[in-house]
Amino acid sequence: MSHDKNFDPSRRAFLGASVAGSALTIAGLPSQALARVNAPHDHEKLKPTTEVFGFCDMCYWRCGLKIRSRDGRAVKIDGNPEHPNNWGVVCGKGNAGLMVAYAPNRLKYPMKRAEGSKRGENKWEKISWDEALQTTADELLKVKKKYGPQALALIGHGSWEKPYHRLAHAFGTPNTTSPVFGLCCGPRGLSNMMIMGRNLTGNETLDLENCKYFLMMGRNVTESLHNGETLGWVNGVANGAKVVYFDPRYSITASKADEYYAIRPLTDHAFLLAMINVVINEELYDKKFVAEYVVGFDELKQRVQKYTPEWAEPITEVPAKDIIRLAKEMAAKAPSVFVYAPRRLTRTSNDFGTGMSITILNTLFGVWGRKGGVFTPQKYKVPEIDLPEFEHATAHRVDSGGDFNYEQPEVPLEHIQDEDGKYHRADGAGVIGRWPIANAQYGLTNEMWRAMAEQKPYPIRALMTAGGNGFLNSTNYDIIRKALETVDFYVASDVIPNEMNMYADILLPEASYLERYDDLQVGGAREGYVAVRMPAMKPLHDTRDAWTICKQLAKRMELGAYFPHESIKELLDDRLKKAGSSLAEIEKVGILKVPADPVKNFPLDHGGKLKIKTPGGSTKAELIPGMLKQMGYDKALDYVEQVRPKEDEFHMTFGRIGFHTHARTQDNIWTADLMRENVLWIHPEPAAKRGINEGDLVKVSDRKGRSGEIKAKVTPRIRKDTIFMVHGFGHWDKRMTTANGQGVADSNLASYAVDPHVGSMSMGLSLVKVEKV
Amino acid sequence: MTKKYVMLADTLRCIDCKACVVACRAEWETPMGYSRDWVKQAEFVKEDGSPRVMLFPGRCQHCDDAPCIEACPSGAAYKREDGMVLQDDAICSGCELCVPACPYDARWLNPETNTISKCTFCQPRVDQGLEPACVQTCVGRALIFGDMNDSESEVAKLLKEKEWVKLTTDEVNIGPNHYYYTNGEALPDEIMPKLHEHHLPGKVMEIVNPIGTIAIGGMLLTFLGAGLFKLIGRRNEVCTSENKEEK
Repeated sequence: MSHDKNFDPSRRAFLGASVAGSALTIAGLPSQALARVNAPHDHEKLKPTTEVFGFCDMCYWRCGLKIRSRDGRAVKIDGNPEHPNNWGVVCGKGNAGLMVAYAPNRLKYPMKRAEGSKRGENKWEKISWDEALQTTADELLKVKKKYGPQALALIGHGSWEKPYHRLAHAFGTPNTTSPVFGLCCGPRGLSNMMIMGRNLTGNETLDLENCKYFLMMGRNVTESLHNGETLGWVNGVANGAKVVYFDPRYSITASKADEYYAIRPLTDHAFLLAMINVVINEELYDKKFVAEYVVGFDELKQRVQKYTPEWAEPITEVPAKDIIRLAKEMAAKAPSVFVYAPRRLTRTSNDFGTGMSITILNTLFGVWGRKGGVFTPQKYKVPEIDLPEFEHATAHRVDSGGDFNYEQPEVPLEHIQDEDGKYHRADGAGVIGRWPIANAQYGLTNEMWRAMAEQKPYPIRALMTAGGNGFLNSTNYDIIRKALETVDFYVASDVIPNEMNMYADILLPEASYLERYDDLQVGGAREGYVAVRMPAMKPLHDTRDAWTICKQLAKRMELGAYFPHESIKELLDDRLKKAGSSLAEIEKVGILKVPADPVKNFPLDHGGKLKIKTPGGSTKAELIPGMLKQMGYDKALDYVEQVRPKEDEFHMTFGRIGFHTHARTQDNIWTADLMRENVLWIHPEPAAKRGINEGDLVKVSDRKGRSGEIKAKVTPRIRKDTIFMVHGFGHWDKRMTTANGQGVADSNLASYAVDPHVGSMSMGLSLVKVEKV
Repeated sequence: MTKKYVMLADTLRCIDCKACVVACRAEWETPMGYSRDWVKQAEFVKEDGSPRVMLFPGRCQHCDDAPCIEACPSGAAYKREDGMVLQDDAICSGCELCVPACPYDARWLNPETNTISKCTFCQPRVDQGLEPACVQTCVGRALIFGDMNDSESEVAKLLKEKEWVKLTTDEVNIGPNHYYYTNGEALPDEIMPKLHEHHLPGKVMEIVNPIGTIAIGGMLLTFLGAGLFKLIGRRNEVCTSENKEEK
């Protein structure tokens, strides 16, 4: 214990006084209590900690971390100031990552479904790792022998899913999928890919700080938040960018906007088409850029003639004069402008058209490769390890370090045909005649569930999941339940329990991201980078990391050649040495970078050229992609009428809040402390009509008869014809003792219609009624 | 020159992500259900009928005339020369007299330690040259901390650059050192400090003194008595450890 130097003996006397004496001493002090202000006080000292580097697993943005540990336990998660995904800041979710490791409800040891219990009954028996791995290997091989390798489906959802994909590919199945495409960003990713040949999702490559005009189509960047992106946007706004925000709900982002439009739900496409119409007809586009880099302009001009601002006004409820004004304002600031797509573009019955309209507008404003627009990212080249050929030609997954790479595999679409007697993907992603333009690496998770439930187009008899929660991240519970009950064998790996892994036959407990190494994070921002995840603490429980689990499973299935290293550390060192570094070197700094280079990031501002290559083979941006025209899919450009609620119905909308991630943080005691249950946002007028007051329990039910009971938040922050709830609540797994029974699962009310071109879900089509309970 | 630490909150940059709240919880291991800092969301309807939300990150305002110090009978609450209002756990009796004294509701009794907890501007971190945990983690960089007497500091520059306001009212004007920027937008009533009825500013000494009202004095003495027993024990511990060190 240390003390101030100016020790005051009178205070010592005071401290030593008796009860009666103390009272008298207090009474005797000057009334201003000045003596106390100068009294010696111990100043608290920071306890020493050690630090390791990592990257976050709380959402899919993967911020760089520095984790402080004391006595072998992680005690604080800080941001790595060098990491371009977050520049040192960490959100509430990221800070709460500690409570993933310390979660009382974690999966702590391998388990099997209790003898005699049914799947989903949630009865478990503790087993050894040896039994868990051997049973899994035996069961998978049994399925392979009987039905072929394609009868295994793998669904992965997390920053550690990569080894599972490799294991599944080695096993020989094409059926590996991540929800990121079909349930989330697919249509927006595909739009940029088809038109520009660019992958503008995952870690967005936007020059946010220098942008002067954000037209935000439901991109709730402050609540569906990713640190680096959000900070960049906030900086851009502070630097004077104008924000025009469209959302049926007045979100936090709306509160930061210069103009807010409570656009009619599902009609963004109509607004965007009218914008294109004005930009073209009033010649507001970047003529030089269009002349040099764009094809299909004249045809597009013809096609959008009918989409006048006056046409869009009654559909969108955005005044025609405002559409014209916004187009002019943006053009004046171009190319430092950006039409910001929503993160999750699985909403309407034509998300692909919406996505393409956004890409088209950005292209007409010439934002690509320009300051304040979209920068060209750099890459840190880290070669993959040498592996034997995968049996299935389409199984290769382009490694970009995240799982958001929308590059198509280097296999022409027509070659995905089953020439060698090999199977197409069961979900139809990338398959001619089914969902040919859906990404064949990530697949359509929604359609994979369907394939399992219906056992079409061929039997899928084994399921492996690595993270994720099929129920709460998808919307058709009947299909998912049926799939989980139909397969012969289901093995789930995860850190935490949830409603999906509740159905497993074998549960493999993963170490949390604070307790393990993982494969490298290789990403591209203004600077290219590679980052490392190191263990900040010893595993608290009998858990293992994904790579180790997969290697051990591979060994038992005679697929060991696909996991040639003795340990994950050896793998990392191998990869890094090929990149001119080493594990020891990266462990000192956490991240290695290729410095930002304005000439490469913003070629058009530095006399350079933009390199374009679309999947259709064009070296210019295809406003109407030829590949789509061949398939007749260019009709997605045209507006499609959307469903309308009857007088007593509402549009069912859902979204994010800044301190919860999807359906995976409701049982985290620190984020749950901030928000334990979701509530139903309803406008005061329809609320009054139904006698609903703030805090009342209401029943919300859709046309299919699905329903839930939830408390009401009566607020003018939402349209009268729309309700909203935060996504991810309403858990029913009894193992999730914090989240269980809190709020309503939006996923059980959202639509499970499918985008007709992409195959992704159209979750926003659901119409619901609300009544007081 | 003497340091004067201040916290700036640019409400335009705050997005209510609660990073500050969780970072503080992790840094200081505050018990569940309690927090040393917060973000208040003021939700109202503007005159034109449109909705409006303003966000106010908050914590102890480290006031110049901190009523909590005056209210503290044990001397545990004190103000350091650099402006930080701190709490000496070793001598805090947990009597909670300071709790209602704070019009910003920044103090609470930690049920695990039975001492008062509050924001310290992360004094132990600042003393080591680090930023407060909330500032370091703030996603929108809405929170800025530093020495306003250092003209080169970011806070000094920002204070000059923009019009900052403090959360003060006619009733509560005690020299807070937490500044807010709203770009001129009026502060909503609900986030303003309020005097607590059961707090008697400047009265503690008089009450404990026999001159004070006997009834209140008696009540307070009973109240104090409970805390005093703990206080004595704690002081003895302090003495013991001090003696050890001196040997």
